[in-house]
Amino acid sequence: MTPQPDWQEIERLFNATVDLPNHERQALLDSASAPVRAEVESLLKTDDQAFFAVPPVHLTADLLERQPGALNSGQFVGNYRVESLVTRGGMGEVYLARDPSGIPIALKILRRHLIVSEQAIDRFETEARATSALHHPNIVAVRDSGESPAGLFIAMEWVEGPTLRLLMDAGAPDTAQAIDLCGQAARALAAAHAAEILHRDIKPENIILRNDGVLKILDFGLARLSGPVRLEVEATGASGTISGTLSGTLLYMPPEILRGETATTASDVFSLGALFYELWAGRHPFAGETPLDVFEAIECRLVAAPSTLRAGIPPEIDTLILQMLDRDPAWRPAACEACDVLSRSSGKS
Amino acid sequence: MDSQGEVTSLLTAWGRGDQNALNQLMPLVYNELHRMARRAWSGLDQGNTLQPTALIHEVYLKLAGSENASYQNRCHFLAVASTAMRQILVNHARSRHTVKRGSGKIALSLDDVQPAVHQEAAEVVALHEALERLQAIDARKSRVVEMRYFGGLSIEETAQALGVSVITVNRDWRLARSWLIREMKGEGA
Repeated sequence: MTPQPDWQEIERLFNATVDLPNHERQALLDSASAPVRAEVESLLKTDDQAFFAVPPVHLTADLLERQPGALNSGQFVGNYRVESLVTRGGMGEVYLARDPSGIPIALKILRRHLIVSEQAIDRFETEARATSALHHPNIVAVRDSGESPAGLFIAMEWVEGPTLRLLMDAGAPDTAQAIDLCGQAARALAAAHAAEILHRDIKPENIILRNDGVLKILDFGLARLSGPVRLEVEATGASGTISGTLSGTLLYMPPEILRGETATTASDVFSLGALFYELWAGRHPFAGETPLDVFEAIECRLVAAPSTLRAGIPPEIDTLILQMLDRDPAWRPAACEACDVLSRSSGKS
Repeated sequence: MDSQGEVTSLLTAWGRGDQNALNQLMPLVYNELHRMARRAWSGLDQGNTLQPTALIHEVYLKLAGSENASYQNRCHFLAVASTAMRQILVNHARSRHTVKRGSGKIALSLDDVQPAVHQEAAEVVALHEALERLQAIDARKSRVVEMRYFGGLSIEETAQALGVSVITVNRDWRLARSWLIREMKGEGA
């Protein structure tokens, strides 16, 4: 190992140069010994880089508060009595709770002490607003939203059943069930689009098949009437990787969104098309090893017809899925047109 | 002796160099941090708007009481509590970090079902280890980072607690951050 250059010298040079513009730094750097200079140059490179998405003190606060459990059963949030924890997200939790008449509801809570970006609040409020404006049997219903000492909350209809992700992982549904699921999802999307609301994050994790067979679309957290998708790229310290969190999920993102264009109803149709493809063909149309592979696949890969991967897919559905995945948004069918194809198909089978 | 008096005398003893006092102090600090956090954010305390960055101040007021609060003791306390906050987080992150995340599958979802603390576990452990290396080179800078990052203290509070100027803390903070980010990146790459 080479001897370490003198730390005090490094500190002096760093402090002297860090606030100078590049061209003024040079003379000072030139005057230092080679090892000190190399060290300071590498430190100047990382000056001002982002570190943690959530500051450690917030993480500790969260941890301290969670033990033994966040909200206790029996505790009230607004008018709702908490029963049990369902799942935890980065900034909050979902609980099973009961309204005053004993009806079960899903209580989604955004914890105030974990909120470090205004965006999270926006997202939460958007979800409450967008979903409560929609009334459709296939869209999860928002009963109420507000603020309580525990945080911001949304009270939603309680839906019990697997997500489409779980369902697909368990094996391919038969033709009649697949047509039924696609039809319900398309009708939900058509209803949202008729109300001029885009979902913008359609994926199998956001769709639940209730145990009685009724499909429900959830998570309108990214919903918006129109406008470009915000690209939030943040460097997260240790791994040095860019955790490119596009708002939404890369695998279901249409090419126009990847190019930074404005989302339209056709963008939701594309995402739903990718989901249909997966459901029918048993494999994702743009699967890849790395985010770059997925990017390229969405941009350029020729999508094989689902029928080439699995037998027994009705030809009109084969065609519909390919049309929904058209790279040109203008050529994709509207959600209500997809509904028509699916309901005709369902009449036949 | 009441608990406020006890904490005050432990702080004073520790300030005189009594390491044993620190050992007795730590469990009291841990307990109060937990109690205060649960009270503040679990929704039991109506209308509470406590920020995470104010947590250790509140704990100090609770433990030492405003009458007994000497300037010296308060500075010592902020240091102890920052260390406690770091230990709590690092211990948890270590236990999480052993379960490696991500297996090459792509899931760039904004709303991972993991709590933030689990998502950041690898970074927390990496920061902790880099901070130990920094301590060997420049102990004060590692204290500055501990107080700012883990304790949530402001530049001014950190300067007070360490008995140095705001300018010094600013400089320490900036260099330490650059150094740590570089260390952590070098490791992860």
